[in-house]
Amino acid sequence: MSPAGSPETVLTVSRLSFSYEDKPDVLKSLDLAVTAGERVGIIGPNGAGKTTLFLLVCGVLKPAAGDIQLLGKPVVSGKFNPEVALVFQNPDDQLFCPSVKDDVAFGPQNMGLPKEEVEARVTQALSVVGGSKLARRPAHHLSEGEKRLVTVAGVLAMQPRLVIYDEPSANLDIRSRRRLIRLLQSSPETVLVASHDLELVLEVCSRVVLMDEGAIIAEGNPAEIMGDVSLMEAHGQEKPHSLIPHAVPH
Amino acid sequence: MRLLIDEYTGLESPLHRWDPRYKLVGLVTLVFAFSFVRDLRMLLAMAAVTITVYAVSRLPATFVAKRFRYPSFFLVAILLTLPFLSGESVIATWGPVAVHQEGLLAAILIATRFTCILIIGMVLLGTTPLLTNIKAMRSLGLPDIMADMALLSFRYLQEIGRDLRNMQTAMRLRGFRARRLSRRGLKVLAWLGGSLLVYSYERSESIYRAMILRGYGHAPPPKHEFQASSRDTLILVAVILVTVGFIIGDIALGHNTAALLQ
Amino acid sequence: MHIPDGILPLSVTGAGYGATAFTTWFSIRKIRQKEDPRRDVPKASLLTAAFFVASWIHIPMPPTSVHLVLNGLLGALLGYYAFPAILIGLFFQAVMFGHGGLTTLGVNAMIMGLPAIVAHYIFRLRKRGGESQRKTGVFGFLSGALAMGISVAMFVVILLTNLPAEINVISERAAIYALAIAHVPLIFIEGAIAALITVFLRRVRPGILDGV
Repeated sequence: MSPAGSPETVLTVSRLSFSYEDKPDVLKSLDLAVTAGERVGIIGPNGAGKTTLFLLVCGVLKPAAGDIQLLGKPVVSGKFNPEVALVFQNPDDQLFCPSVKDDVAFGPQNMGLPKEEVEARVTQALSVVGGSKLARRPAHHLSEGEKRLVTVAGVLAMQPRLVIYDEPSANLDIRSRRRLIRLLQSSPETVLVASHDLELVLEVCSRVVLMDEGAIIAEGNPAEIMGDVSLMEAHGQEKPHSLIPHAVPH
Repeated sequence: MRLLIDEYTGLESPLHRWDPRYKLVGLVTLVFAFSFVRDLRMLLAMAAVTITVYAVSRLPATFVAKRFRYPSFFLVAILLTLPFLSGESVIATWGPVAVHQEGLLAAILIATRFTCILIIGMVLLGTTPLLTNIKAMRSLGLPDIMADMALLSFRYLQEIGRDLRNMQTAMRLRGFRARRLSRRGLKVLAWLGGSLLVYSYERSESIYRAMILRGYGHAPPPKHEFQASSRDTLILVAVILVTVGFIIGDIALGHNTAALLQ
Repeated sequence: MHIPDGILPLSVTGAGYGATAFTTWFSIRKIRQKEDPRRDVPKASLLTAAFFVASWIHIPMPPTSVHLVLNGLLGALLGYYAFPAILIGLFFQAVMFGHGGLTTLGVNAMIMGLPAIVAHYIFRLRKRGGESQRKTGVFGFLSGALAMGISVAMFVVILLTNLPAEINVISERAAIYALAIAHVPLIFIEGAIAALITVFLRRVRPGILDGV
């Protein structure tokens, strides 16, 4: 625990490098620090290394060089760590149980928690995402938005300190997207969000990191970074609509 | 879609240029002749032919070496068990362990046939792109339904494989480790397999719709573009002659593994 | 359950190809009798690919792990499409993993494919006297276990009747019987997994169980 008043560092990434067998330098000596309660948006073109970064932070991949510290402890690749959770881009990759209840219970069960605790967490997680009435339905029968909510419940049930969202609003309709944004805005956990949905990033995040070709190009205040047209366009992005002055008053 | 087996199909060699249909017929017939051989002297000829074919194909040695990992387990198993466990005439002893003649000969026979057939198979698959091989089979009589199924399954194999990997990663990240055989473990793995089936089944409905919107089923499949030259035919005839040579030769020599020693 | 190249005589491998050719012809005839076979081709193809991928899932069996064959489940779900599917699966295995099986393709297809067709008929029986989750599970188990059992039996018989004549038959026989006995737990696991999957499918997508 850090001294009272100064925010606790949840994630520290130092000089992180990674290459795939067929793709070198996917991450080039990356440095990143995230403090407790922050909501950090990661933006950048496809192939920038966002998903790879997430897989490294979760311990799925092993760094080629550099160091990752989660809550003060080094990340050990391959080890199960319920303090960090990843919401995958495609909900179908995460939903495989015959009912929503079973799926949300999966994480807590693997944590070895007693049955009553598991049930309590499932109920709580589903209520947080607003999905309580979905409990008995098979996950495969849900709409895209409902699937998204259930995958979020599935990771929240593990009560992680850091939750990483990989393109969470992809394929969502307006209503589901709005629900997701509200959920993210009210989440007490520390959050990392990778998204092409720049408006979502503007609404949700307190800090933005622009990545391209495996490196961090810029980071800081979302409106400032995303409002810099030349910076954004140089890295395959655009200025979000809400930062552009109205051409037609409305 | 890039495939490992297709890595060297772009090379230049007489085998690469051989009409794929004739190559299929010729090499498969050759491989069957190999499986017929029993006389150990013919094994030398078999090895010589195999090495020649491989050399002509210009495929690098690493191509075969990389693919020998699983087959080598079988070879080692055969070579380490048969000579010691099978047969009656003992030809050598190391303490309590005895090497039997019949077992040793059988091991050599099986190992050589296996290796040569495997290598010819690799030449067949490595010198023509997989999709072309499937088209060649279709033109040789493979039913349309099977060719369609093979092409379509193949197309989605990599994606479904990737889906499986993602799902397993997601399960691992939520703490699942399949280490012991347990009721829960089997259930979870069954649900994983079942989900794979469900997602593939549902995906196939969109695929079907996309296919019929572009006319699937309305016209017969396009006629094949294969055109054999007289050179292709000559090579086929030569290979068939070698095949027949093996069969006749083996029969003439006795068609018997132990014939050499009698 | 594969018999590698180089062991069986030409008479057997040739007969295997012949039997496979006949069974393929027969299966396709049955397939063409349905009203719209082209509609089912994408379904059968994607399921073929999914089954192939699913067989890569490691089932722990200390001290090691095994891969399942799932030919019983394949037969239950694909019906007569199962035989072409297995043939295609074997071909892909030869291509991707290179452990051969070129001359023995016919024999191996019969060993895996014939039981799959049997499993199809067994699984259909679950509807006799009313359909239920319990019956689905039971017949799922039977399909999976019996298919694997028949495959093991065929594998053993083919090997036993084709041992090279010169070698000591007794120790060979012992080895083959030992191999067969080692597969008994696998027969139960195949049955159990097939049961679990069919029950899962009944809850989640019952349409799949009614065949392609």
